[in-house]
Amino acid sequence: MRPSLSFRIIQHTTGYLFAILSLYPVFLMVSSSFKTTLEIFKEPLALPKKLSFAAYEKLLDQLPFGTYLWNSVFVSVISVVIILISCSLAAYYIARTSFKWNGALMFIFLLGMMIPIKLGIVPMFLLMRDLNLTNSPWSLIAIYSAMGIPLGVMILSGFFRTLPKELEEAAKIDGCTDMQILRRIILPLMRPALGTVMIINFVTAWNDFFFPLIFIQSELKKTIPVGMMSLFGEYASDWSTLFAGLTLASLPMIVMFIIASRQFMDGMTAGAVK
Amino acid sequence: MADKPKRLQRNRWSIHLFPIPALAIYLLFIIYPICAAFSYSLYDWKGIKKLEFIGFQNFKNLFTLEPFNTMFWNALEHNVIYFVVQMVVQNGIAFLLAYLVFQKIKGSGFLKVAYFLPRLLSVIVVGFLWKLILNPTYGTINVLLDKLGLDSWTMPWLGDPSTALISIILVNSWFGVGLSLLIFLAGLQSIPTEVVEASRLDGVRGFRMIRTIILPLMIQPIIMVTVLTFIQSFEAFELIYAMQGSMGEPYYSTDTMAVFFYRTAFGGSSSDSVAIGLGSALAVVMFAIIAIISAAFLALTRKVNQE
Amino acid sequence: MKRVYSLGTVVLLSTSLVVSGCGSNNKANESSPSNSATPSASSSASNGSGEKVKLTMGSWRTDDKAVYEKVFAEFNKQYPNIEIDFSPTKSTEYNTVLNTALQTGEGPDIIHLRPYAAGIGLGDSGFIEPINGLPGLEVFPADVMAASTGKDGNVYGVPMALNTVGIMYNKKIFKDNNLEVPKTWDELLKVSQSLKDNKIIPFGFGAKDGWILSMTQGAIGPAGYGGNEFVDKLLKGEKKFTDEEYVQSLQLMKDLVPYFPDKFTGIGYEDMRTFFATEQAAMYVLGDFDVGVIQTMNPALELGVFPIPSKVAGASPTVSTYVDGSYAVNAASKHKEEAKKFLEFATSKEFGNLFANEMKRVSPIPGVTATDPVIAQFAELANTASTPYLMVTNFNSGNPTTKVTLENSMQALYLNNMDAKKVAEELQKNVDTWFKP
Repeated sequence: MRPSLSFRIIQHTTGYLFAILSLYPVFLMVSSSFKTTLEIFKEPLALPKKLSFAAYEKLLDQLPFGTYLWNSVFVSVISVVIILISCSLAAYYIARTSFKWNGALMFIFLLGMMIPIKLGIVPMFLLMRDLNLTNSPWSLIAIYSAMGIPLGVMILSGFFRTLPKELEEAAKIDGCTDMQILRRIILPLMRPALGTVMIINFVTAWNDFFFPLIFIQSELKKTIPVGMMSLFGEYASDWSTLFAGLTLASLPMIVMFIIASRQFMDGMTAGAVK
Repeated sequence: MADKPKRLQRNRWSIHLFPIPALAIYLLFIIYPICAAFSYSLYDWKGIKKLEFIGFQNFKNLFTLEPFNTMFWNALEHNVIYFVVQMVVQNGIAFLLAYLVFQKIKGSGFLKVAYFLPRLLSVIVVGFLWKLILNPTYGTINVLLDKLGLDSWTMPWLGDPSTALISIILVNSWFGVGLSLLIFLAGLQSIPTEVVEASRLDGVRGFRMIRTIILPLMIQPIIMVTVLTFIQSFEAFELIYAMQGSMGEPYYSTDTMAVFFYRTAFGGSSSDSVAIGLGSALAVVMFAIIAIISAAFLALTRKVNQE
Repeated sequence: MKRVYSLGTVVLLSTSLVVSGCGSNNKANESSPSNSATPSASSSASNGSGEKVKLTMGSWRTDDKAVYEKVFAEFNKQYPNIEIDFSPTKSTEYNTVLNTALQTGEGPDIIHLRPYAAGIGLGDSGFIEPINGLPGLEVFPADVMAASTGKDGNVYGVPMALNTVGIMYNKKIFKDNNLEVPKTWDELLKVSQSLKDNKIIPFGFGAKDGWILSMTQGAIGPAGYGGNEFVDKLLKGEKKFTDEEYVQSLQLMKDLVPYFPDKFTGIGYEDMRTFFATEQAAMYVLGDFDVGVIQTMNPALELGVFPIPSKVAGASPTVSTYVDGSYAVNAASKHKEEAKKFLEFATSKEFGNLFANEMKRVSPIPGVTATDPVIAQFAELANTASTPYLMVTNFNSGNPTTKVTLENSMQALYLNNMDAKKVAEELQKNVDTWFKP
């Protein structure tokens, strides 16, 4: 009952062709970082003639890359934790209770996805200043958490609905409170959905450059993407350094993803749909 | 057993605290600033200085004043094209690849990682890399076409209005295929295996299997991907900005509503005139368009859920 | 059970904190916009007692970081208590970042102010501190000061650089092909043709980036309308963009198409510079501010510069010039006096020399001499053959600006969607919406 051989050849060819297409630009970025600018320009498709780490040494010497990295990790991790906690609570409420305002509540959350959020930048800036958060990583954490909530609530509440009601009814009879039900019964079953929300928001927070550009002034509080943007100005003509910078900026995310890919992927595939 | 209703009662009040943290953060940092900014559309501005209240004049200008009205419809048209092409290319390929991975071909674990990897890159990096690949002189695509003897097919991809927008949408599809794929894959995995096995025993396979068995069971993930793609297409900004700047170059051929909004509200890079009132009016209009159409999509989802 | 309550309390507490934060925010919004501490303000209140003051300088010149460190070191010899922190933003995002900061009463103490209409607009709206009568300003000629002088005569900034755009050329390529620097437009075309015949790209040029188009037209255009006489009439309203002189200036740009690289509509600024710096292209129409970069990219390149020969009979060759921004003081700064000290320093000859030689730019300060021969040549041309880069000096207003209208229409010109006449009509249509002679 297995598909025919020719069909399977087509399947594999298509699958791997698209994988090459997906990976090629990343490969180009890494391989170009070892070339000289002239090599990139004159022989764009060739492999680097020799592995030179000069560009990397130069960058690590000049940029506080470790600081950028730490700031990015700090901001992304805290935002994701806030999103996970607050969204689980809210999604549990929306999905597992039947108050008449639940529909409206859900809609209010969804509105956040439909607004060009940059519009609010000036009021946001004023707000951050009055909360004394400008030039602080907490301004980024606040905004990334708030930005991640709509999608988080949407995905988690969709997923909460798929769980059988009997589970918590039994728990209630045993005297569990709502918080205990959520923590001990629902959340452990929800790991995949939480994984989905986690990766999406982690990537968003990690790669954003607009808000740090506006909110953060001191060099030592910048995140990786902003630090990287100044590279474009400084090394516009020095492509090997630029490529090394881009590789350095992208690498932590790629490494983290590959290490955790099994967990992430299972989380995503099991959790993305109600 | 006698105290059970009482106990449930007592549990009940605390549950109203559950949505509060999410709601508070979200209302404070998103809804409040946005509402404050919506009011900008009702004022006259001189550069970045707010002058007097002028009612709906900015909205009127957006739809009647040259060149803004032309720009608006031009941009809106590009958003629609963006959505249609993304649906067909990004989500079509995502579905195909999801089905492929679902069938557990050799190395499907690696393939999943590969397909999702672009999504991890910053849009700035994506824009920069594809700008190089699409470069007319030393970009991979033209060099490759040249080596294959197809030099008549080489193009200034991003410099020609007939190819610029489509190139960007395809790059966006490259970037976004992983997420759609995972949502589809989740949907495929939630289809009961008995249904697939039973129809397979009935001799259904290949594309007929997809059409008659799989697709009908995939309506929910398809709607979810559609809504996400819609919102994302109608807010398309970062990639265009990274690759073509805030003017939607060349000659507004890659302009979208969000790029137009950014240019008018912030002045962009080359234009030094800022029209915050008009830009805010445009953002309100964008919001209305997206909200109305999304609400329709969601109503459709609810209907499907109930059936 | 206990745990649940305590968790509930935490949630409640944290939300009430957030909500009360919101309340206080509204109040603060209504009061003065600059009552909270700027990063620079926190260090000290006054300079009188010899306390250190820390200023920030905002800029779009991300690549000048090292040079400014030298400049500040020199400045600190005179003012040891004023520490300046150079904090640039990428050029394309600079306006967004600065405008947002200014709107909220924040922003750097010293601002790199965009030249002419763009920066003056900020000044006229009250975001920039007027510096009328600042010691040292008198060294600048009036046309240079025009870049930072408001409608009501207020001066907002100390001119920073005098950008000069001419045709840079590769001396070696010219020599190898027995070519002379052209003296007339027709000679320029002949030179281009023979370069092309010898399989060398005549112009390192691309039309993908809009600002390159207006800048190149700013330099080449005068060859078509004959320089300053037309400019004067245009500004007085006696001539229009639709007049044949200006149409011809647009047509000249179109006439050069055969001498541009293949598929030039997809080529951007960095690519065209690379063409020239790697000696694949013989000529490059750009400003003195690119000399340093080109020399770093290819130190062996024999660089020369010549003014654009005119097509109009009897008109002399020109380079186009404009002031590239100025140093200004943020009206919301806590340390305006200290910031003004730096502005004063920026009018001095020693600053001019640092600027010209470290940054390799043409300084607007009279009497400053550049040691780099190419920069010196640019400076010489700026003194003898200059015509204004109109789209920046006079036509960077309107919405969209006339400059942007030119850039977009010229893309259409190169894509064969418009002819020179139509481009001129688009320009005039835009100019009519705001320009009063």
